[in-house]
Amino acid sequence: MSAAIPVAALRELIAGWIGQGKLVAAPVQVGDRLLYQALASAQDAVFDARRRPANSIKEFFFPRHEPIFRYRIEGKEIALAEVAPQEREQIVIASKPCDAAALPILDHVFNWDFEDSFYTARRARTTVVSLACQAHDDACFCTSLGSGPEDESGSDAMLHDLGDGQFEVRAITEKGGALFPDRAGKSGDTPGPSCRMAGSPPNEQFDPARVARYLAANFESPPWKDLTLACLGCGVCAYTCPTCHCFDIVDEGNAAGGARVKNWDSCQFPLFTLHASGHNPRAVQPQRQRQRLFHKFLIYPRKFGTVLCTGCGNCERNCPVGLGVLKVLQAIDDEAKRLDEKEPLQA
Amino acid sequence: MKKNLYKPDLMEVLDVQRQTPDVKSVRLRFRDGDRARDFSFRVGQFGQFSVFGSGEATFNICSSSTWKDYIEFCFRRTGRVTETLWQIEKGDTLGFRGPYGNGYPMEEWEGRNLIFIGGGIAMPPIRCAVWYALENRAKYGDITIVYGARTVADLTYADELDEWSKHERVRVIRCVDPGGETPDWKGEIGLIPAVLERAQVPAENAIALVIGPPIMIKFTLPVLDRMGLPEEDIYTSLENRMKCGVGKCGRCNAGPVYVCKDGPVFTMKQLRSIPNDF
Amino acid sequence: MTQRLRETARRLLQEGKVQVVIGYGPSKPGAAAPPVLITRPEDADKLEWNGRCFANLAVYLTRKEVKALGKAAVVVKGCDEKALVVLEKESQIDRAALSVIGMVCEGVGTPRAAKCASCQVRVPRFADEVIGEAAQPAAAAPGPNGLDRLMAKSPAERWAFWKTEFARCVKCYACRQVCPLCYCERCIADKNRPVVIDTSATPKGNFAWHITRAFHLAARCIGCGECTRACPAGIPLGLLNQALAQATEEDFGYRPGMDPQAEPVFGSWSPADKEDFIR
Repeated sequence: MSAAIPVAALRELIAGWIGQGKLVAAPVQVGDRLLYQALASAQDAVFDARRRPANSIKEFFFPRHEPIFRYRIEGKEIALAEVAPQEREQIVIASKPCDAAALPILDHVFNWDFEDSFYTARRARTTVVSLACQAHDDACFCTSLGSGPEDESGSDAMLHDLGDGQFEVRAITEKGGALFPDRAGKSGDTPGPSCRMAGSPPNEQFDPARVARYLAANFESPPWKDLTLACLGCGVCAYTCPTCHCFDIVDEGNAAGGARVKNWDSCQFPLFTLHASGHNPRAVQPQRQRQRLFHKFLIYPRKFGTVLCTGCGNCERNCPVGLGVLKVLQAIDDEAKRLDEKEPLQA
Repeated sequence: MKKNLYKPDLMEVLDVQRQTPDVKSVRLRFRDGDRARDFSFRVGQFGQFSVFGSGEATFNICSSSTWKDYIEFCFRRTGRVTETLWQIEKGDTLGFRGPYGNGYPMEEWEGRNLIFIGGGIAMPPIRCAVWYALENRAKYGDITIVYGARTVADLTYADELDEWSKHERVRVIRCVDPGGETPDWKGEIGLIPAVLERAQVPAENAIALVIGPPIMIKFTLPVLDRMGLPEEDIYTSLENRMKCGVGKCGRCNAGPVYVCKDGPVFTMKQLRSIPNDF
Repeated sequence: MTQRLRETARRLLQEGKVQVVIGYGPSKPGAAAPPVLITRPEDADKLEWNGRCFANLAVYLTRKEVKALGKAAVVVKGCDEKALVVLEKESQIDRAALSVIGMVCEGVGTPRAAKCASCQVRVPRFADEVIGEAAQPAAAAPGPNGLDRLMAKSPAERWAFWKTEFARCVKCYACRQVCPLCYCERCIADKNRPVVIDTSATPKGNFAWHITRAFHLAARCIGCGECTRACPAGIPLGLLNQALAQATEEDFGYRPGMDPQAEPVFGSWSPADKEDFIR
């Protein structure tokens, strides 16, 4: 059983980590938005088990913009300069469990045959301390994917809010435990005074296996076409999603040189799949929405055994037209159920 | 420091040839001698070639894997990167990342007769396989090449086509679209599917590699079917917009298949299960 | 009002006058009403009208997926309707082929959105059908607003302000995609021969994007505020547009979307123009 840690002590620890030159990220109140940000001061960290930041922690592993090497142009010669993968230690604290759970999911693609050394360096140098959830909203659907408000996947330690500004911390990995010497209980310990979620976790909203079966059998006849017409083709869902990882590679510079950079990209942008010839296999928005669903709920699980989603609900919450994936998944699941009743689909 | 998968090899441009009014071929060698010695690839694989400052573009490595001193690629002047590639000269430096993709199953094709069918800019990805087969002549049976373009001027590697036809048991059939011929044109006139049908190529113990625009493939398949070739013996190489080339950037998948990792070479049988997403 | 809206939509679809009705759909309290595109009369009951109808639905009129459906009817508030005026002036919509269902609106949001406090167009002015009781325009908003507070800062302070704000921009382009007047088929941000605006979410790339977009909307932006609402990083983008709108009114006496007869600032020239360098 671990001792209760008051929030002031957490802030002291954070101030210490910042003093050691580490990058510490936490939810921060910015205007009317709660956003994960690198902390300038330990006082800015918000420990609220009832709210979810509008962005995700993937920024600290897979940043929105990242030079991958630099080049100098010297007549006919080119000189390349390496960009060293991150050395600085990072701590993400008060992460939502649905953000942390995205990390082991992303590990698959960034290590698939070729290692993305920028991503793996950050993963190795970051400790993730999550804060278990005590509330959810209608956009949350972690439980439909086998996750939940206290899912420890991807976390090195987990805070539990005991109320009155007191927290309990459980170590999940050695790295996590090392941040809280002599104060951490172990994952699986008997829980301390009540820190359970207020009310129950979200109900399961759809069956991912049934959805995958339907998608595998139905590329050209979607029941969701009407829903996806409303999509405006921006990148908000992809960019606030903890698991979306599509990126672009471009050269930026001038006649003397520059850098080749990796930037976030989104399959919802009209130009994402545009060939130089002018041919675009996904010329209209419903086709691009289809890609998003397929990638997350059929292709990724087939390749790596896990859906590319943690049910955090950011896509729906942030979508300018309130779309996200849940509504569409429910429409697919309803159709799949209906067909199953008529004629069960083969596995 | 761990290897940076995104950092290209520096390549020296050895030679640039103009193949057609809008297609050039480029011969490159690794500036780093160690890398040159260690490098190998399978024909049918591709690379990400770059002009520093302009960006990367995906091209098949169109030279034979048996040639050790250089690699070659071919490009059509179409977009941002190819526009800057059009200006390069001998001695310039390009970037190369690769080889990526699955390549042709040349070992599986040993002992078979090879039928190569290509249209327009599809000759370069066929050329590497043809040269590989000629360099390993005893391992392969009869070789038939059916290659066509809109006009005579659009035929790439025209001189090599001549050279190939001089090899043993190699039959080269050149064609241009009706209206694309020149007064002294000695080859066939017609669209590729019709020319292929007329050619009466024996299909026994054969595999076919068909590369070209989707419409050409669509009308060529029934001809191959009539010739008696099963779909698992008909191969193609797909194109899709790529960036990383290694399955990470999420761009090139066609349904459940990553063109850069599971392909770009597929059999027609496999293609049937790939949805219309490329 | 919802009942009348549904009846109107059902009738338009049944009579074949339109093939699609673009309106607002059901939402839970606290969530914005999502746009819905109704193509069948029986789906008209999905239409809603309430204080969460934030979106400017005029944005759908220039999207090719929607144009492909056929003739459209669009549900607009008075503020959204101003976009229709501009779109028609710029030849992007055929007003004669469009059915406009205007909703009388006393403000959206809880608390009410800032733009509603000074709204002069509570009753849509050019709709084919107006639904709702007449309402008075708002009194001019008293006191300083966000723009006044910003412009009271020194240039150095304003520069620091925008540096901090733009540092959060991730280049999602939600601001562009929700804007009814950002309809360019190939946006300048997507141009790559040459690259005009870095796509990277760097200070350079972000400033270039937002300033260029604000200038491309100068004398065109109708102030619906959707860009600000859509921004996932909470950047007060509308302030840029408001500043330019103020300059447009001061220098040219022009307010976009108010008078269908007024010639657009960038599309016309008057011999009485106060600049003499062009004479």
